[in-house]
Amino acid sequence: MNQPLGTRSLDSFRDPIRRASVDVSIVVDEGAGTSAHVGEVIESSTAQLVAESVRLNGAPAFGQFVRVETEPLPILGVVHNTRTQSLEANRRPSAYGKSEEELRLEQPQIFELLRTHFDVFVLGYLDGTHPVLAYPPQPARIHSFVHVCSTEQTRALTATEQLLRSLLEAPGLPTDELLLATLSHALDAREPALRQAYVLRTGKELSRLLRDDYDRLSALVGRLKDRMNSKDSQ
Amino acid sequence: MPGSRRSNAPTTVARPGSSYSLLDLTAVKGQVDAMVAAQVDAPALFEERLVQAVDLLVEWGQPDRWQQLQQMIQKARVSWLFADFCGPFCEGIDAPPRPQHLSVAATDGSQIFPDRHEISPCYLLNIGYVLLHYGSGERALISSRPQLYWQDQDLYQEWGGRRTGVSRDVVGFRRSLLELTELAELAAASQAEGHPTVALTDGTLIMWSLEGRAPDFRDDCLGQIRGAFDLLAERRIPVAGYISRPGGSDLVNALRVAMCPMTVTQCDQCPGLQSAGEDLPVVRPCDPLEGISDGVLLRRLLQPGQRSAVFGSTSQILSDYGAHHIHFFYVHVGKEVARVEIPAYVAEDQQLLDRVHACVIDQAAKGQGYPVSLAEAHERAVVRGADREAFYRYLEDMFVRHDIRARVSLKGLRKRSAGI
Repeated sequence: MNQPLGTRSLDSFRDPIRRASVDVSIVVDEGAGTSAHVGEVIESSTAQLVAESVRLNGAPAFGQFVRVETEPLPILGVVHNTRTQSLEANRRPSAYGKSEEELRLEQPQIFELLRTHFDVFVLGYLDGTHPVLAYPPQPARIHSFVHVCSTEQTRALTATEQLLRSLLEAPGLPTDELLLATLSHALDAREPALRQAYVLRTGKELSRLLRDDYDRLSALVGRLKDRMNSKDSQ
Repeated sequence: MPGSRRSNAPTTVARPGSSYSLLDLTAVKGQVDAMVAAQVDAPALFEERLVQAVDLLVEWGQPDRWQQLQQMIQKARVSWLFADFCGPFCEGIDAPPRPQHLSVAATDGSQIFPDRHEISPCYLLNIGYVLLHYGSGERALISSRPQLYWQDQDLYQEWGGRRTGVSRDVVGFRRSLLELTELAELAAASQAEGHPTVALTDGTLIMWSLEGRAPDFRDDCLGQIRGAFDLLAERRIPVAGYISRPGGSDLVNALRVAMCPMTVTQCDQCPGLQSAGEDLPVVRPCDPLEGISDGVLLRRLLQPGQRSAVFGSTSQILSDYGAHHIHFFYVHVGKEVARVEIPAYVAEDQQLLDRVHACVIDQAAKGQGYPVSLAEAHERAVVRGADREAFYRYLEDMFVRHDIRARVSLKGLRKRSAGI
């Protein structure tokens, strides 16, 4: 602050550390597989973690597989919940009756006060390029970066037999919804010619895992079929 | 008693079957009741006096009358603050539309005062910065910057040849100055990047409390104030101090002179004093204006969105403001009448004045009655009790970790752990 008056740049007033990385501009969907990180871990435990999205309203999709770059090994997980809320506990957003575009022009502060967070269920870790579906030896470190899994990583992860079991056994998650969403990402990561076989294999495995719960299984298989049909017609 | 407890922390102690509070509300209740009872009858009487005051304002504010009152005030031998008239003031002035593209810069500050009962007498100033761009969709700048003052020259000062430890009010001055100089810098940086900018700060631009301070301290402060205004004036950036629920009565004081029956107003020779006897209370001719503030008065004259005429302030300290004499106007922002203070270069430039007027109305509308930029700057700046605690605990940890001998005063220690 010892410069002559009136010579400072606007950048010199920005927060040097805190929230410097959050981009609040309107989100353009860039699709999966980009190398830049999409979030940063702000709460971490062995089985679950919470990340702050780099972009407001720009968290990875529900059911998307993510990779957390951390020590000693990168952690793999699946996004099972996303929320956008006030940054400060004692300030709640309230209705303005304006479109987002109008708000950006006339109430620009709003977008600095909101953050998108997403919850990740930890599936396993990455040993070299090989996904291991078991709890990692150490939880992700706070402030580690979260990336969307590459197509190869998604393919490898969804090829393991343990995946369905891990999801079905996960406590407190919307399991069936998550199964369908992850399947959709699994199919996206495969050549169209290989998708039919993948769905068949998944169906078989599901019927084995859910053999004691016929109602649930048939509902799941029914929705699976619908999902497939709508994917084919696209 | 488990753990330690400090004065700023919540003071309720959980005890089975009882609640414990330090303020004995039952004891205050009787006094509150008496206070309320005394004020119940006031509104009707006040209303009558207020109507009278508005009539006076409209009468003397006419284009053919205000100069006459001005002359009466100039002759008056009294020591109150007066509104200095710059033209007729009997009507409200409508707000011009806000320019579509406009940026609003605002700062606010708060502090951790030096506490000699703590381990170090250092202090901290935290400035909140807000820069909001309207009409362009550009990203807002909202940030804060804390600054720790701990060196000898920060904590001890020589003013008027005496070396003294820095006091709370000196820290308060430092904070006010930093708010203003940082605001000037922020607004200048914004304007330099091509944003037409208005600079807003919370509270008065008139540092009247510098009166009576050691001359070298006062000169130092005033130099910085003038420097900030010089920069803003040179870049043609309007700056305004926004005062919510203003308590001032500069304008009402002027009307007192209008009501005065003496040819030359001189309060120590007031006819009210002469007619008062042993059992008769003093009734001054201008008593009907007692208790009326400018804000209350102008709420009756101004429509929402309108501002009053611009007045000059007659505060003593302004004689040292150089070219930047502070003026003010009142503005009806919808939910209240606020006072807006501006330096001379804004008061004299219709375009800048209009920009401030439009900006203040728009800001208050966006912030549900109080300028949104100032509210956000406050949110960034504020240092709450818990933050202060955390700051001192961190300081203590660092002292211990580096083996620096640190002592909390016995009083400070007692506050932390009030045993029974």
